[in-house]
Amino acid sequence: MGSIKHHPRRAISATENIATSEKLQELFAVRLQSERVHFVTLSAALARAEESPGGIFDDLTFRAHRLKGAAATFDFANLAAAAGALERASFAAANSRAAHTDPEVWEALVALVDMLGVIEQNTPRAPDLPPVLLAD
Amino acid sequence: MDDPSTDLHDTILSHHLNKSVQCRVLIVDDDDLVRARLASLLRLSNFEVEVAGSGEEALRIISAAPCQIVLTDWQMPDMDGLALCRYLRTACAESYIYVVLLTVRDTKQDVLAGLAAGADDYVLKGTPVEEILARMETGRRITHVEQSLRTSNRENRRLAITDPLTGAHNLRYLMRNLPRELSRCRRYQHPLAILSCDIDGFKQVNDRFGHQAGDLVLQAFVARSTSCLRKTSDWLARIGGDEFVIVLPETTVGGATSVARKLRRQLATQPVATNTGLVAFMASVGVTALEPDEVPSGPSAVEEILNRADRNLYASKRGEINGLD
Repeated sequence: MGSIKHHPRRAISATENIATSEKLQELFAVRLQSERVHFVTLSAALARAEESPGGIFDDLTFRAHRLKGAAATFDFANLAAAAGALERASFAAANSRAAHTDPEVWEALVALVDMLGVIEQNTPRAPDLPPVLLAD
Repeated sequence: MDDPSTDLHDTILSHHLNKSVQCRVLIVDDDDLVRARLASLLRLSNFEVEVAGSGEEALRIISAAPCQIVLTDWQMPDMDGLALCRYLRTACAESYIYVVLLTVRDTKQDVLAGLAAGADDYVLKGTPVEEILARMETGRRITHVEQSLRTSNRENRRLAITDPLTGAHNLRYLMRNLPRELSRCRRYQHPLAILSCDIDGFKQVNDRFGHQAGDLVLQAFVARSTSCLRKTSDWLARIGGDEFVIVLPETTVGGATSVARKLRRQLATQPVATNTGLVAFMASVGVTALEPDEVPSGPSAVEEILNRADRNLYASKRGEINGLD
């Protein structure tokens, strides 16, 4: 994570920047697809974690926080709000040692997964993207 | 009603700053997509951008090349944004680093904690791009002003110890640094020599060829003297109209005498070309050599040494000592 590549900078034209911005949006759409898969997987794990759901709550908190920041940066305000709701709910659940059936967590989790599904349906499938794009 | 001319002025000012002020921004975020998005936005606004995935990586980048602005996330693995802020504020950086916390943490306590850690600005992720860029322009403007002040202060300090005509050190520099040389001489038991110089018949040069020619003679004296000195240790100060002191650390009377001879040979080689013709000139040089045990101490030490150097200069003028010719 966070690899840095130093190379000579040159001015980026407006056209190039629009192209970069579009590619980043496409990459973010791909990220959201993978986030949805992760949250579905975590919900399945939470459903099974009758004894000690604390670790799952922590994972949900971390992942929701991260998604909240990225969604806000990419101007997905509603998604950021939904991720924020899950972050708060799972953080509170972890702190209060709530059961794996904690209703606030499940409500926020389902709402977030639903929203990710809607976004995925409304997003055209991204073409194959070269991985070097993120090497900045 | 808004004054449209103010808007125009702001636009021109912003455009001017964008084009002319180089500003290096370090984006610190553990999310590579967020980093890439912010980098893309900032580059379009003519910022030079570097990126890091954690606070620790950010510090490595800053230590390799300074950044004017750090735009950092709060929650990150290893060193988080707050720890990074605190570190930057306690570290002795050469110039000020403007820190912007860009985070999703939005409670009042979070904002206060961020500012208390040393952030200059606190921006929520999801803030419109125009506002983020406007805040970054504030950072660019402030760091530019700070750099200008720093440069100006450095120049003022240099001018305070420099003779503007010749570029040599001045009396203030001598009074500050000669005591240091004397104490070093005593502490390390090394010899020290001082050459006291003045230009022979300088008043006549001014009267006959004009003050401009006199100035050229003074500049030529400094240039030729400097060429005779060791760059790393010897130094020269102009302490009056045509009076100079040359300080030669770790130099015995023999070494000092040979520097004085070399200097006089340099002056004799060629006259100075002026608007009013060629001006030949020579300087008298008094050699004062100090052995470590005879170096005076106390508040009057410098005055005592300079008086002694003056006496040797006038003895030299009368041809009583040194035998430099």
